[in-house]
Amino acid sequence: MKYLSLIVLLALITLTGCRADYDIEEVAPPEHLAETHEHDHVHTETEDHHEHDDEECSICAETHDQEHVHEHDDDAISASDRHVHEAGERNHGTEWFFNQPWAARFIWSKMIRDIVILTVLAAIILLASRFRLRKKR
Amino acid sequence: MKPVMTFALMTLRSLLRRRTIWGISIVILLALFGIGQIPGYDVSNEGRFILDFGLFGLEIGALLLAIGLAANIYPRDREQKTVMPLIAIPLSRGQYLMGRFIGAAMVQAAAMLVGCIGLMVILLLNGHPIPADLFPATCLLLVEGWFLLAVVFFFSFWTSPPLNAPLTVLLFILSQMSVSGFISILPGAEGFMRFLRLLLPHMDVFHIKDPIAHGVGIPGVYFLLAALYGLAYMSFMLSIALAVFRSRDLK
Amino acid sequence: MTNLPIKVDNLEKTFRKSLGFSSFKAVDSLSFHVEKGEILGFLGPNGAGKTTTIKCILGLLKPSSGSVLLWNDHPASKNVRTKIGYVPENPDYEDIFTPIEFMTMFASMRRIDMRKDQMISILGRVGLEAWANVRINNFSKGMKQRMSLALALQSQPDLLIMDEPTGGLDPAARKEFRDVILEENQRGASIFLSSHLLSEVETICDRAVILANGRKVTEGNLDDLLRTEDLFSISFTVPGTDSDILERKSVNAADLQKTIDELRQNGQNILEVKPVYRSLEEVFLSATRGGNL
Repeated sequence: MKYLSLIVLLALITLTGCRADYDIEEVAPPEHLAETHEHDHVHTETEDHHEHDDEECSICAETHDQEHVHEHDDDAISASDRHVHEAGERNHGTEWFFNQPWAARFIWSKMIRDIVILTVLAAIILLASRFRLRKKR
Repeated sequence: MKPVMTFALMTLRSLLRRRTIWGISIVILLALFGIGQIPGYDVSNEGRFILDFGLFGLEIGALLLAIGLAANIYPRDREQKTVMPLIAIPLSRGQYLMGRFIGAAMVQAAAMLVGCIGLMVILLLNGHPIPADLFPATCLLLVEGWFLLAVVFFFSFWTSPPLNAPLTVLLFILSQMSVSGFISILPGAEGFMRFLRLLLPHMDVFHIKDPIAHGVGIPGVYFLLAALYGLAYMSFMLSIALAVFRSRDLK
Repeated sequence: MTNLPIKVDNLEKTFRKSLGFSSFKAVDSLSFHVEKGEILGFLGPNGAGKTTTIKCILGLLKPSSGSVLLWNDHPASKNVRTKIGYVPENPDYEDIFTPIEFMTMFASMRRIDMRKDQMISILGRVGLEAWANVRINNFSKGMKQRMSLALALQSQPDLLIMDEPTGGLDPAARKEFRDVILEENQRGASIFLSSHLLSEVETICDRAVILANGRKVTEGNLDDLLRTEDLFSISFTVPGTDSDILERKSVNAADLQKTIDELRQNGQNILEVKPVYRSLEEVFLSATRGGNL
């Protein structure tokens, strides 16, 4: 059991590498993060292209026809603000909000990698525990 | 597979008899209906509020159900010695674990489905449309619930039920944290904390209530990948649980 | 190597206590076997290691050293388990099910095709026919024992392992249990019977193994175990006034020939010379040095 645990730990360390995870701040390409820190956001809407403040922006959150770019201050953002971001982009002031892995396509490959690693590890553990059981017989 | 499915159905019937499960399910439904009664700032905010908190309620429900369903199964079997005649003759330890797990997973699936339908009803009663992604989002929460179920089974083979619940809740909380957030708990040992975080799953993968509440379309590929990720982690936990169970003496 | 139903060789089982700082040896250097078609009684005072040995035989506990083989195979192997029936001590089952439901589920788990009437017939053998559709939560301890025997009989096992099977039964039920055990033995099944009830073992067992403090203290055919090695009983007739009087005399083996000669010289008719048998209780108590029974 001790050896098995050691093998699993080593496999996890060597296969995934300690830096790889789903924390966007850590895994996103540098240019991606640079963009988000400037607080530039792409909004989409179905309504006619219009000038609006952040309150109006919330109306267009559910729509996707046209795109426009605008800038705003952090202070002007309230909890009810809704923005549609490009995949992986962070929201200003509420980093938990769009810091979701679903948004970032570059996370997907990491998910596939982890799925493979976990499945292989599960198979190794099953086989090793069965082998150990038979060896004891 | 036949012995496992028979045992799973036996587990399902046995679990449905327990008051705990009905209690948790009723609490979830009451909480969902309670959320529907809270007035929002405006119509669009109210819909978001119901969706956001409703999905959060289902997520917590998945956690409570996992603990309520599985924490006591094996200790009870051991205490009442019902495990002895089962493992001595008709079932292998792997079949026992899988039978119990599948039975509990079926109950959890049924409870989550009822919760999802409840949430849909509340949305409709309040005049809000049902987002297309609500059902897939509930499915992801169910996968998360199944993963937690595997965790509870794993803990149940080497801890007591009173310790199992806090350990599972702790893992649930820690697994939601970002790497930077996790390191900030113990900034002096960054390498160690980074390594620890690596071993824990990324449960935020299953939480898409915010995008759904805000009407953001979620790619179908993501649902598939997140579900596969959850199932892979669940298999990993079950394989560890089985390795522990196989090494245990049944005194 | 003969294909023995049970072969325990130098079995040792040690349990760790107090976070592994101390240990307790429950079974020590235990060797015995069960032959095909025999009924072996497994005796010992409380804490002698009987249940631990049974759990090792069933693969529920892993031996610390030594080996347990059933038909030369590991106890947990699939082939072996299909041939075993197990009656646990103080059995308990999920009480929401009825005996017939349990029989159906166990048959499915064991991949046995069995019709309902066949299951009812087995329940009838153990006296539960009328209770086939009653939930187990209404059952007494004795009825649960019967239930566990019914489950054990389901696969027509080649080996029946029974751990105190008649503990919670009344005398009539005990007799019924004994009859079922003998019927199974006549069918060809080997029986491994652990029991506190010495009269039961004395009645039905061919051989017995007696355990004390985890070690085997004696083993053998019941006839050999009960027979005293150095004490014989001589039955003879003494000529009386109206008819001969039957008398008995116990003598040591060393004096046996001399006593027979003397009786013959006195004109007494010797009818029978046979070894003196002790009760199993006496054998058990002397073997376990007065251990609590």
